[in-house]
Amino acid sequence: MSNLAVTAIEVLIFPGILFLTSYALYCNWINRKFAARLQNRIGPLHTGWNGILQPFADVIKLLANEDITPASANKTLFLLTPIIIFALPLAALFVIPIQSLSNLWSYAPVAAFEGDLIVVLFLLTIMILFIFLGGWSSASRFGAVGAERAALMMIAYEIPLGLVAISPAIMAGSMSLNKIVEWEVSSFANFLAAPSLPGILLGVTLLIGAGIYVICLLAELEMRPFDISEAETEIVHGWQVEYSGKKLALLHLGHEFKLVLAAALLTSLFLGGPAGPWPIPPIVWFVAKTTVCVFILSNLSVLFARFRIDQMLSWAWKYLVPLAVLQVMAVIVLSGVI
Amino acid sequence: MSEREYIIPIGPQHPALKEPENFLFKVDGEIVVDVEPRIGYNHRGIEKAMESRTYIQNLYIVERVCGICSNAHQTAYTQCVEEVLGMEIPERSKYIRVFVQELERIHSHLLWLGVAAHEIGFDTLFYYIWRDREVVMDLLEMVSGNRCNYAMPTIGGVRRDISKENFPMYHKMLDTLHERTLYYLGVCASEKTILERAAGVGVTSKADAIRLSAAGPTARASGVESDIRKDSPYLIYDEIPFKMYTETGGDVLSNVLVRVNETMEAAKICKWVLDNIPDGPIKEKFSPMSRVPEGEAVSLVEAQRGELIHYLQSRGENKPYRYKIRAPTLGNILTVIEKLKGGYIADIPIVLAGIDPCFSCTDRMVFVDEGKDRMWDMNGDQLRRYGIRWYEK
Repeated sequence: MSNLAVTAIEVLIFPGILFLTSYALYCNWINRKFAARLQNRIGPLHTGWNGILQPFADVIKLLANEDITPASANKTLFLLTPIIIFALPLAALFVIPIQSLSNLWSYAPVAAFEGDLIVVLFLLTIMILFIFLGGWSSASRFGAVGAERAALMMIAYEIPLGLVAISPAIMAGSMSLNKIVEWEVSSFANFLAAPSLPGILLGVTLLIGAGIYVICLLAELEMRPFDISEAETEIVHGWQVEYSGKKLALLHLGHEFKLVLAAALLTSLFLGGPAGPWPIPPIVWFVAKTTVCVFILSNLSVLFARFRIDQMLSWAWKYLVPLAVLQVMAVIVLSGVI
Repeated sequence: MSEREYIIPIGPQHPALKEPENFLFKVDGEIVVDVEPRIGYNHRGIEKAMESRTYIQNLYIVERVCGICSNAHQTAYTQCVEEVLGMEIPERSKYIRVFVQELERIHSHLLWLGVAAHEIGFDTLFYYIWRDREVVMDLLEMVSGNRCNYAMPTIGGVRRDISKENFPMYHKMLDTLHERTLYYLGVCASEKTILERAAGVGVTSKADAIRLSAAGPTARASGVESDIRKDSPYLIYDEIPFKMYTETGGDVLSNVLVRVNETMEAAKICKWVLDNIPDGPIKEKFSPMSRVPEGEAVSLVEAQRGELIHYLQSRGENKPYRYKIRAPTLGNILTVIEKLKGGYIADIPIVLAGIDPCFSCTDRMVFVDEGKDRMWDMNGDQLRRYGIRWYEK
């Protein structure tokens, strides 16, 4: 098989677009079902086994719906936003190490280069920019309020999100997700062979970092208690309010990719990525670990009431940002010791 | 209006509102500057309809004024008619009316608590509360045969008796409700995100509550001691030992605490009724075509949302000459304006829901031309044509 064919399969089928799309729909189902059980509901039930095909059916149904563009909307931006919000998380997922095609027991990202972590963080920021533009261009008053809120929220959680993501990179001495995962695997093996106090301290610090990261991801994913920018009962889904039909389907798919990206980043940065004890292949570890991450995210999202935007901002700047800075400082100190 | 301000319309269709009504919010960024409530989207002409139907037919119309306080409306109506008739109803039927009324209060307050949790984005609490509310819905179904619109009170008594064999089961269900409500009281008073969203939000001072004629739990949350069950007892409320809860905060949290405490008190009243109910007949005779002598009557009932006023004028026919209903939401709706001025957009749903509005009971409409000092009404056809013309403009 030529190199080109392998790359084509990697990009299009596995672990590329086809796998990621079905996995995103699966994660959405897990999220919905788990949240429903926690809330004493049943959740999706009829489409496929225990409703596992429900997210897929929802997308198909939305694709068939009428697509309306408001008369006074900015047509170009209004059309562009769903496409970009769909494409960006998918693009970011290609640098996540999942599974190598040539060797069943090794993992490699589809496209990796030194500094891909920065690209992922950049893509996460750009997404919010497009959420803002999408809400603003829809020329709806609820859309404008939602867009404004999304931008304000970004100010609150963007800095801790970036800082905490850097801390494993500092330890690994690399800005490539693949190398960070490799460092995690080797240092964990070293620690098991010879446990030491700095090792334990580093583990605790990174655990705190993972906690901060989960909180920031909840905000990034617009899940409770940070679904401020689409608060259904307040501003009727905020920036998404004017989207319908195919555009809404793309937005939903993009959100589902974002959920997978969040879980995959959490896995790669703090949980050792797709690595795990032999003889289970990396893909199984990847699916298991990201599923656990989705469980954590959806569990947290049902525990709280929604924050108000001013409460969220003051809370993030008072506690989350200082904590993230302290965490990075602790990691830098520990990196000198180890 | 300054350049920074713009208007956000909430309703007639909005996820925070369970019934159609329109509020125009003038906002500056996230801050609400002014509120303009516009009622009249759900006017059904019930009062007029009642004037052309017999007293027994009206029993079922008046019940459908509101799905949630159906029993309160029916109780008020039967009291009016009985007063004009000079009829004394059997003692047992009074107990049964109180029993159903208090069960209805439990179901309404739990429903409200769930909706309030949903408005602040706490869906988990909403699902849990509505699951436990099923207990009281089942109880109501056992007692009356229906989950809402119970059709229990009738002119001269009640339509169905409650059987002594079921009392132990009723007691057990009421205990469950009391226990679960106590748990939610703990959750609402201690869960931090709820406190953040509810404490100090949408405040009405005691003076404002009195000035704007707030009623029921909304008034009691502001520290106004007003409860028709205490102030002018009807049925057997003067015999029942129960406590009136007031709070001084006037904010959403006080509203929650007053209603949750009232729910538990209502469960206690129900248990007291089951323990003390006397034996005897349940209704006096009133034939469907009976005429009611000339006279008029006003009846007050403490519905779940506050003071409910019914007025009946009879001219000796088998139909009322004039019937008038004032639902408590009409009194409470003005407090919303005061509560929301200076608040955040994010607080609009919870503050609106905080008064437990029931718009369709409240709705009334009349066309006013302020410049010409003219008032008139329209029938359905005229309204439709007016609407079409308005949209074509």
